[in-house]
Amino acid sequence: MSLVSVQHAPAARPIPVPTGWAVAARQLRSVKILFPFIVLVAIWWAIQAAGNFPDRVLVSPQRVFDTMVLLISRGVIAEYVSTSLKIIGIATAISIVVGVPIGFAVGANRYAARSLEGFLRFLQGVSGIAWLPLIIIWFGFTHATTLAVVVYTLIVPIIFNTMIGTRAIPEHYGLALRSLGAARLRLITDVYLPGALPSIVVGLRLGMGYGWRALIAAEMLVRQGGLGDLIFGARTSGQIDRIIGGMIIIGTLYLLIDRMLVQPIENLTIARWGVLRK
Amino acid sequence: MSVQAAPIATTSTARRALGRLAWTLVPAAPFVIVTLIWIMATGILNPSKETLPPVTDVLASIKELALSGQLATNVVASLYRLLLGSILGIVTGLIGGVIVGLNRKLAESLNPVVVFFNAISGIVWLPLMITWLGIGNALAVFLIWNTVFFIVFQNAALGVQLVPEVYEQGVRALGGGRWQTMRSVILPGALPYILTGIRTGLGFGWRALIAAELVGAATGLGTMIFDAAEYHRSDIIVAGCLIIGVIAIVMDRWLLLPIERRTVRRWGLVADTEKE
Repeated sequence: MSLVSVQHAPAARPIPVPTGWAVAARQLRSVKILFPFIVLVAIWWAIQAAGNFPDRVLVSPQRVFDTMVLLISRGVIAEYVSTSLKIIGIATAISIVVGVPIGFAVGANRYAARSLEGFLRFLQGVSGIAWLPLIIIWFGFTHATTLAVVVYTLIVPIIFNTMIGTRAIPEHYGLALRSLGAARLRLITDVYLPGALPSIVVGLRLGMGYGWRALIAAEMLVRQGGLGDLIFGARTSGQIDRIIGGMIIIGTLYLLIDRMLVQPIENLTIARWGVLRK
Repeated sequence: MSVQAAPIATTSTARRALGRLAWTLVPAAPFVIVTLIWIMATGILNPSKETLPPVTDVLASIKELALSGQLATNVVASLYRLLLGSILGIVTGLIGGVIVGLNRKLAESLNPVVVFFNAISGIVWLPLMITWLGIGNALAVFLIWNTVFFIVFQNAALGVQLVPEVYEQGVRALGGGRWQTMRSVILPGALPYILTGIRTGLGFGWRALIAAELVGAATGLGTMIFDAAEYHRSDIIVAGCLIIGVIAIVMDRWLLLPIERRTVRRWGLVADTEKE
C-alpha cells in the first residue's frame, strides 16, 4: 500500500472552539438551507387553500405531516423503509463482490476492456426495468425479482468504473511488484485495489443513484413492500398525503445515504489514493 | 538480407492487420458469446418458451412486429414522447441553468431545492402524476422533462460558472453589451458542458420513459413489453428489450456523441485554459 500512497496527510490543525458567533453562523446556514423549502411549502399551502381541491387531488402540508407522523408512530414507515434499504444493501454487496473482480479481470487486458465496453453500454441502454416483465415470469412477484433488477442496474457502473480505474494504473507499478517476486494476489491487494479504488467508489456512487431509482420503479410494479409500493399503492386508494409523504421520504433517504455514507467514502478514497488519478 | 527481410515484413504487416481486425471485431465478442450461451441453454435445458424463448422465436417475433407495423407504431410513440419531453427539458434546463450559473447568490440559495428535487426526479413522480394527469402522453412527457431538466440544468449552470471571467471582461472592455457577452463568450464557453448534459439527460430520459410506459401509457415500447407479459409472450419481451437497447445505442453513439465530440474540439479551448 505504501507504494502508491504518496500524498501526505495535512498537518493537524487546532480544532476551532465554537464561539457564540460561529454557532450563530452555523444556525444561519441551516436556516438558509431550509429557507427555499419554507417558500415552497408556503406556495403549496396557498395553492391548496385557494383552489379548494378535493382530497384525491391535493391535500395541505399539514395533512401530509399528520399522516406521516401517524404512519411513523405505528411503525408502518419503518417497515417500508427497511424493506427498501435491505434490498439496496444486498444489491450493493452483491454488485461489489461480483462486479469488482470482473472489472479487474477485464481491465487487465485492453482487448477484453474494449470488447466489454460496448456490451456494458448496451446493457445500460436497456434499463433493468425493461427486463422486469421477463424477470417476473422467472421469479414471480417476489423480492428476488426486485433484487435482480437492482443488481442489474447497479453492477454495470461498478464493472465499468473498476475497468477504467484498472486501465489507468501505470503498468510499471505492477511490473515493479512482479519483478520483486510478488504473487498475483499481492498484485491485486497492493496495486489494483488501491489504484482503482477512487474509480470504483465513483462507480459505486453512480450505481447506487441508478439502483435507488430502479428499486423504486421495480417496487411499484412488484408490489411486495418497499417505498415504491407505498407511494404506488396509495395511488389506487387516492391517498395523496401518503404519496407526497412517501416522495419526501424517498428523496431524504437517498440524500442521507449519498451524502452521509457514499460521498464521505469517495472523498476519503480520493484523498488517500487519488494520487493515481490524473 | 533484403530477401529475408521481405517475408518478415509481410508477416508483421499481416499480423498488424490481423491485430487491427481483432481490435475492430472484439466489441462483437460478448454479444456472440451471450447468443451462443443462449442457444446452448435453450437446446440443452429445453426450458418452456415462457421461461426462455429460443433465439429463432425472438427473431421471428421481431420480424412479425416489424411487418405488422406494430413495432413502428410503438417506436414512433416512444420517440415522440422522448423528443417532446427532451425539448422541454433542454429548453427549460438551459434557461434556468444559464440564469443560475450567472448569479452566484441565486445558485447558492436554490441549491438545496435543486439537490432535493434531483433526488426524486423522474419515476418517483409517477404515482402523483397519474392522479393529476391520468395515463397518456402528458404523463410520460412530464417524467422525461423532469429527468432531463435537472441534468441539463446542473450541467449548464456548471459550464457557465466555469467560463473564465477574463474572457467576459475582454468582451466588456471592447464595448460588448450584456447580450453580446452572453452570445460570444458564455454560451460557447459552456457549450461542451451543456452538450454533455443533453447527452446524459437523453440517456436517462429514455430509461425513465420505458419505466413510465410500463404502467402509464397505451402505446410505446414499454407498454408493448408489459402487455406481452400478460400473455406470457417472452419472445416479445426479449425482442422489445433488444430494440430498446439498440435505439439507446444508436441515439447515443451515432447521434449525440459525434455532436458532442465536434463541439468539444471546436470550443474545448475554454476547458484547456481553465486548467492553467
